[in-house]
Amino acid sequence: MSAASHGALGLTLCSSAFAGLGRAQLKALGQPGLPILEIEHPFGGRSRDEVRAIAHTLIAQIAVAASTAAAGASAAGTSATSTPAAGGVEAVRAIALPSDAQAAHIECVRRRWSDGLPVIAPTPERVEAMIAARWPRDQLIATLAPGFGEATIERIATNAVLAGCEPAHLPVLVAAVEAVADPAFNLQAVQSTTNPVTTWLIVHGPVARALGVNSGANCLGQGNLANATLGRALRLILQNIGRAWPGEMDRATHGQPGKFVFCCGEVEIDHPWQPLHVERGFALADSAVTVIGASGTLNMNTHTKDADQLLDCIAHSMAFPGSNDYHYCGEPWLILSPEHAAVLAGAGLNRQQVQQQLWSRSMMTAGEFTHADFLRTASMRAAEFPQLTPQPRVPPSRTPADIGIVVAGGPGTHSVHVPTFGETRAVSRRVGVPA
Amino acid sequence: MSQTIEVLDPVAPARADTAPTARAAARSLRGATVGIIDNSKPNFSLLADDLERLLIEQQGVARVLRHRKSSASIGADAQVLAAIASESALVISGSGD
Repeated sequence: MSAASHGALGLTLCSSAFAGLGRAQLKALGQPGLPILEIEHPFGGRSRDEVRAIAHTLIAQIAVAASTAAAGASAAGTSATSTPAAGGVEAVRAIALPSDAQAAHIECVRRRWSDGLPVIAPTPERVEAMIAARWPRDQLIATLAPGFGEATIERIATNAVLAGCEPAHLPVLVAAVEAVADPAFNLQAVQSTTNPVTTWLIVHGPVARALGVNSGANCLGQGNLANATLGRALRLILQNIGRAWPGEMDRATHGQPGKFVFCCGEVEIDHPWQPLHVERGFALADSAVTVIGASGTLNMNTHTKDADQLLDCIAHSMAFPGSNDYHYCGEPWLILSPEHAAVLAGAGLNRQQVQQQLWSRSMMTAGEFTHADFLRTASMRAAEFPQLTPQPRVPPSRTPADIGIVVAGGPGTHSVHVPTFGETRAVSRRVGVPA
Repeated sequence: MSQTIEVLDPVAPARADTAPTARAAARSLRGATVGIIDNSKPNFSLLADDLERLLIEQQGVARVLRHRKSSASIGADAQVLAAIASESALVISGSGD
């Protein structure tokens, strides 16, 4: 695609299991005719002789593709169906759904609008009420990878209605869309990876309290309107506007339950340290969101009241050989329960000291990884570990400050390790409404 | 009572084909420059080595410009990509495992 903008022909070699992603990505980028040559999947484990044989097979195909592809690259047409609005943004089109709720639910699943669960029909009246004249409806907030769909206020609001949100939720979603579109979050990779990555949405400050976002008991579970609909709306936005449908551009091998909803608040009253959004540069009275590329959750159930033993338990729980955070130098996260946070704070530890201790104690010996993962780590972390050998101790992040800590949850001796995709960074944005 | 209701489409359409199109490639690659963007996935650098040699030996390619990304999941540096693409008739990249 970028090659084309400089007048060169772009040709992609895809392992066969990902050719569909490649074609969908080219279509999303407006170049459906560019050539893709397939290599039988998987390619990464082939022997040297097999790689040579594949190269010999490809070379003639490359020559043929190069001589014929350019003529067809611009003739493949487009699947765009909307009428651009005066400002150049694609207008949202109207569609007829069955009026019967059950039939409408099935139709929405068929159209791949939903997450599989029933949705609220996004009638023009409901979308109008959702926007409530707070923004121009065609205001473009961001384009969302991997499909680079335009996340306008109207389209975000439409997905918010689908998810069951209330109008008061929309400013949070607008901020969340801004956040996921930040290059640091790496939405392109988060959306299309084989890893089970979802976008964990944390809501901070007065808006969290006003909306009743749950930061206490069962904060990652079901039953709370704000947590459920905000998390769900963000998923539908990423799917429908980012055009990342499972099995198509969303290549997740398993996915995870958090791809339905992963949204919570943080304890702010009686927080032993500063709340996360203050730590990340906002004022305590600011409303904000943080988005994190989360690969799952691990329960760390320990009854210890000893800070040293608690740090050891958490650190050892973080260290597992299949962790992207170690392989790619990531940003692992922890949700400390109020009880566990109190044990650490009660021992006189501040957040930075907890991070330092966890960073040191969670290091893994490079030889603990499988050989293939050791090679990946050696390549990805070459800047920190030139000529990596199996002996050095490898931390899960570049610095202790890159270990994220949130305090949330109800009574109980549980904390949660949230490993991440590794090649993504948390992004925070202020929640606001235009004056 | 109406059997249908009007709703708004939550799906963003695929982008229109407004992107710049590739110039017509040479009928053969003889004398051309070819770029290879290594996606840093296992074995791709070896494949790139083989393709470079074969492009020159069998297809008469004049030279091959190579760039290995630091990560498979992060796009190639825009300036590097621009430099390679501006000198190349064909740029080969990889995707998947």
